[in-house]
Amino acid sequence: MLLDYDRLGFWRWILVAIGVVVMLFLLLPILFIAALSFGDSQWLVFPPPGWTLQWYEQLLTDPVWLNSLFTSAKVAVIVTVLSVVLGLLAALGLARSKFFGKSALQAFFLTPMVLPVVVLAVALYAFFLKLGLTGTLTGFVIGHLIIALPFSIITIGNSLQSFDPALEDAAMICGAGPLEVKWRVTLPAIRLGMFAAAIFSFLISWDEVVLSIFMASPTLQTLPVLIWSTLRQDLTPVIAAASTLLVAFTIVLMLLASLLKKGTRS
Amino acid sequence: MTTPFLQIRGLRKTYDQVVAIDHVSLDIKQGEFMTFLGPSGSGKSTTLYIVAGFQEPTEGQVLLNGKSLLDVAPNQRNIGMVFQRYTLFPHLTVGENVAFPLRVRRRPEAEIKAKVDKMLELVHLGGYRDRLPGQMSGGQQQRVAIARALAYDPPLLLMDEPLSALDKKLREEIQFELRRIHQETGVTILYVTHDQEEALRLSDRIAVFSQGKIEQVGTGEELYERPTSRFVAGFIGNSNFLPVKVEKLGSGRARAVFPNGQAVEGDASAFASGSDGTLMVRPEQMRIRPGTAVGQELAVTVRDMTYLGDSMHFAVQTPWNQELAVRMAVRDGQGLCIGSSAVLEWDTQHGHVFA
Repeated sequence: MLLDYDRLGFWRWILVAIGVVVMLFLLLPILFIAALSFGDSQWLVFPPPGWTLQWYEQLLTDPVWLNSLFTSAKVAVIVTVLSVVLGLLAALGLARSKFFGKSALQAFFLTPMVLPVVVLAVALYAFFLKLGLTGTLTGFVIGHLIIALPFSIITIGNSLQSFDPALEDAAMICGAGPLEVKWRVTLPAIRLGMFAAAIFSFLISWDEVVLSIFMASPTLQTLPVLIWSTLRQDLTPVIAAASTLLVAFTIVLMLLASLLKKGTRS
Repeated sequence: MTTPFLQIRGLRKTYDQVVAIDHVSLDIKQGEFMTFLGPSGSGKSTTLYIVAGFQEPTEGQVLLNGKSLLDVAPNQRNIGMVFQRYTLFPHLTVGENVAFPLRVRRRPEAEIKAKVDKMLELVHLGGYRDRLPGQMSGGQQQRVAIARALAYDPPLLLMDEPLSALDKKLREEIQFELRRIHQETGVTILYVTHDQEEALRLSDRIAVFSQGKIEQVGTGEELYERPTSRFVAGFIGNSNFLPVKVEKLGSGRARAVFPNGQAVEGDASAFASGSDGTLMVRPEQMRIRPGTAVGQELAVTVRDMTYLGDSMHFAVQTPWNQELAVRMAVRDGQGLCIGSSAVLEWDTQHGHVFA
């Protein structure tokens, strides 16, 4: 192609420079916080004068931090399961049927993606106050599910699109009933899309902070909320340790997702 | 008389205002290879889909061994089907694809294993059990699809243009395989195609579809030698159509008068005297010889000639300026060249007159 990287000549060095700057800009804060989490300075001095694991020890022995970690994981797992199941049902419905208002419904399903999260959070907060759902696990799950679901619907919908419905006809004529067809043919064929949807949903819930701040109570809060609220009171390297854990887990899941993507292509 | 194996009775299917098939009726014998032949949109696939259960007819009935098929859900019909696209399950190995219909029937494991081996042997893919469909060629995939469709010994196998995605050489190879499989298993086959050569090569009988109706049913030879309509004559094999006026002579014979006033006798059963018609003669039934026409002989001019190895193809022009195709053995065409005058002949029993 005319705009191939190799043909750019001098310009490509400018592109490389921009790329490096952007990468540093994105990565440095994370590397910085990771380094601090292992540093032995109480005051987050950089570069750290010495190295220690004591902040991790504190983090993993303090019941408040452990509770929030546990809450985060619980919410994320429930959201993941619900998001994949509901996303699958919605995607199947959208892909396989024709009805009046289908494109409107499709757009409606995706609104949480474009709506400012804080607007959604305020609205949900006001609504959940009336229902008594704030500060409950149910409240967290519903809130996170609303923003995770669009990603689920899109990812599963995409993999359904590359699935030939004639395969279902073939399975049917082979003698399989409608449910057995879905279970033995459709679901296995789109399983990578479902895995990707699960990872996205988990990450969205795991990293979510805006909605969670509104949903949280002193006794029930997720890890990002606890980091945020601790940060407002005092600056301790435990926050750095918690953040690093959060990031590490996220990176692992992202790697898994990209491996899966590679798997779908080959 | 015993009831026919498969009876298609007055099938009609309409979508909104469009009539897809209109009163299609057909009896199929057990073990028969029956082909639905026709251009796209002629209703052949719709008829097949109704037998398969993917579509419901607006009217009509399908009976298998005298029992209605329409009341049976598609997955309970116990019919085999091979599709145009191979429709193998991409996440299952070849062996598991063939085993699929047996697994959903909850057959014992030992039986499944033996049957899969036998079916893969039948389609000559013995060593491919553990391959994934994506690792195989189109021809191989279609063989697996055939094995899967026959694994549960269905009494009826439906095939919807199964070879149209393959190239010519592979197509002929699998056509040959299909004939063998048909002979070995004795399964009744309903086969849909738009390729007349394929239909002639494979079928015991052919039903020619046009605009939602069956134009004619018969063996390939019957359709080729005795077409009952202009459509069938034009769709199967090459043909020359000469405009004529029909004058009835009685006893099923008629005189066909050409635009220049000359006339020949032809086969005509249902024509009113004086009606416009078409006289059809196959190119290989026509002959030309050099010379000038005398009397009722048809004078033509050679416009073009093509050497085809085993035969010679001529394009000749009639006195009313119509171009006709003539095919002859190479040695019979000696003494002719482009521009020369010639006399056109054929035996009257090879002329068919249509409305």
